[in-house]
Amino acid sequence: MIAREMFEEFKARFGPLIDRADLPNDRRLFVYVDRTVVQYVCQHIFRELDARYVASIGTDDRPFSGKFLVAHNFAFDKDHVLCSVLTQLPEDDLKIDSITRMVPAASWAEREMRDLLGIQPVGHEYLKRLVLPDGWPEGSHPLRKDVPWNEVPADYDENREFEFGATPEGCTVVPFGPFHPTLDEPAHFRLYVEGERVRGCEYRGFMVHRGIEKLAESVMSYNDIPLLAERICGICGCVHSVAYVQAVEEAAALKVPPRAEYIRTIMLELERLHSHLLWVGLACHIVGFDTLFMQSFRIREPIMWIAEKISGNRKTYAICLVGGVRRDITHELKAELRVVLDKLEREWRPVVEAVSGDRNIQKRTCGVGVADKVAVKSSGLVGPVARAAGVEIDCRRDHPYAAYDRVEFDVITAESADVWGRVVVRMKEVFESIRIIRQCLDKMEDGPLGLEIKDELPVGRMGLSSVEAPRGESHHFVITGENNRPRRWRVRAPTYQNLQGVAAMIKDQQIADMTISLGSIDPCFSCTDRMETIDVRSGARKVWSQKELLELTWAKMDRETK
Amino acid sequence: MWKNLCEKMFGRSLWVYHANSGGCNGCDIEVLNVLTPYYDVERFGIKLVGSPRHADVMLCQGPAMRSTGQALKRAYEAMPAPKLVFAIGSCACGGGVWFDSYSVLGPVEKVVPVNYYIPGCPPRPEAIIYGVAVALGLVDKKVAPVEFKQVEFPIPIYHPGDLRRENGMVVYEKVERV
Repeated sequence: MIAREMFEEFKARFGPLIDRADLPNDRRLFVYVDRTVVQYVCQHIFRELDARYVASIGTDDRPFSGKFLVAHNFAFDKDHVLCSVLTQLPEDDLKIDSITRMVPAASWAEREMRDLLGIQPVGHEYLKRLVLPDGWPEGSHPLRKDVPWNEVPADYDENREFEFGATPEGCTVVPFGPFHPTLDEPAHFRLYVEGERVRGCEYRGFMVHRGIEKLAESVMSYNDIPLLAERICGICGCVHSVAYVQAVEEAAALKVPPRAEYIRTIMLELERLHSHLLWVGLACHIVGFDTLFMQSFRIREPIMWIAEKISGNRKTYAICLVGGVRRDITHELKAELRVVLDKLEREWRPVVEAVSGDRNIQKRTCGVGVADKVAVKSSGLVGPVARAAGVEIDCRRDHPYAAYDRVEFDVITAESADVWGRVVVRMKEVFESIRIIRQCLDKMEDGPLGLEIKDELPVGRMGLSSVEAPRGESHHFVITGENNRPRRWRVRAPTYQNLQGVAAMIKDQQIADMTISLGSIDPCFSCTDRMETIDVRSGARKVWSQKELLELTWAKMDRETK
Repeated sequence: MWKNLCEKMFGRSLWVYHANSGGCNGCDIEVLNVLTPYYDVERFGIKLVGSPRHADVMLCQGPAMRSTGQALKRAYEAMPAPKLVFAIGSCACGGGVWFDSYSVLGPVEKVVPVNYYIPGCPPRPEAIIYGVAVALGLVDKKVAPVEFKQVEFPIPIYHPGDLRRENGMVVYEKVERV
């Protein structure tokens, strides 16, 4: 079903509730509704039409239309359509009905809207601060257009600490993070533990909120932002820059030359290779199998070298521009890349065999951190976490971009829905990535590397773009604007959704399984936060250090293998 | 002086603790990379530890954020003296592209005293090893320090108010050197 047919269906169902609709192409649908019916429309799309929730976006559109804009984005994966439900809010009444009761996955996005723009989701049950630092005064919203990017309110209180909820009866508190040896990035979990069982947790993250969206909207220009977008995340940087340029290209209706699309595909897959190898290594490290950690890093290193030869840097490739790419892949590089891929494939097989046949790893991961199909639907989980639960979603196939519609590959799924399933999915995806790169190298046609853009990009157009990052779908939303920069750029990284599912995954599990459950989503806090402890030792509470926790994990493994 | 102190205090075995106070992950992974077979810093006695209480050196990555500044400071205070701090990557050295963003404090030196800076986005593993080796006194520094000094320019600041007429000439009374 294309967007036009879908719109006909919407019209038949909602009739006069739809104020306006934009159909820029067959794959995108923008529907404007009144704010009184947002809840109803979203419920219908999410439950009855069985769409997948993607993201909610708030925008300060006052300088242009005098109103605020809220968008709820949904994906119809089988029909290959991305749909956005938009609502305008008057400046003096910033309230919108929360959709969290019907769409639990929207919880964070609505809290973020409240923090950054001051839009109140009415009916949201847990309106705690999510994004801004703890000392930030209420009533100050940095993403509004009248606030400069570097303004810190005068009453900012740097000593104020986050207030956690009350500890449940009979539970001990175990703080986890912000500085943690297995995580790399700062994030704080407060685990409520009864004996060895985790009964609940509270998350205080968004410590890496660097205000990237605000910087992009106020000081950068269209072609600076791909470089900024790469620095959202050091591992999946190329994903973000491709997603951003695709959203702009879609908004401005630019057609990228095929050679550029192939080069983007190759870089994205190289990034997936090094990310998956890194993840398998880290997962093995978390469960105490350090040999494989070393081995997978050894196998991974040649990929970094070839990426450096192609782009000039081991990470942050800086290869994307609006309308094309900056660097070519020459014949010599192609030949070298083929050699690297052959070597990788040869060396990766024994590792897959070693992991698959290792009973230690299976015992530590089977039945741990379960997120089934229901959780995937309600929390909007994406990527290998969803695929390990048997939900076959993959943006590369469902919402094809770059050159993915011209290559063949399988979407790897598993049925076990646990950490083991995620390990299997990621290990097999490495072979699919190798296959994709080889096809790209064969099919790549000669031609220009980019478009020459002579005119200014049109103003006020919207673009949506979903790119399959190693961790899941990375979704970008762009509204083009004046002064050679977008009016609004919203990034929804895969971990943003997957982290919301972690609380359910670790509930009633052993505390020693916490690290691998969290690790299994391949958390990437810098993506999520864009914009997450030293252990606080108070006498009365028993506090585990990260190292002890890791040792506990290893001790458990020893027990189980005996 | 640092070199001598380091040689004396740390000998050949450094235990490092890595603290990402708000970076993008890029530098962390390069730090992890130097521990793995290709770069293998354990041959220099350098080992990654999970707690600041066991560490001699703190490797800081990412800018200091408003929400992690306090935690970073506590991590630094938890380390036993003598201690060294390395700022790894452009963000930790100077704040990076977000140096003046609303939720960023700036470079990590605003929170903890930094001894060595290893710039790059992200720095290559070789650069990290080289930086640590310089600190340890294993290799010599290959770049000569260049110091810039403000020299006095003989340009007076021009104050139009201080002009007066005298015998048909314009006389400038006040001469202030910059």
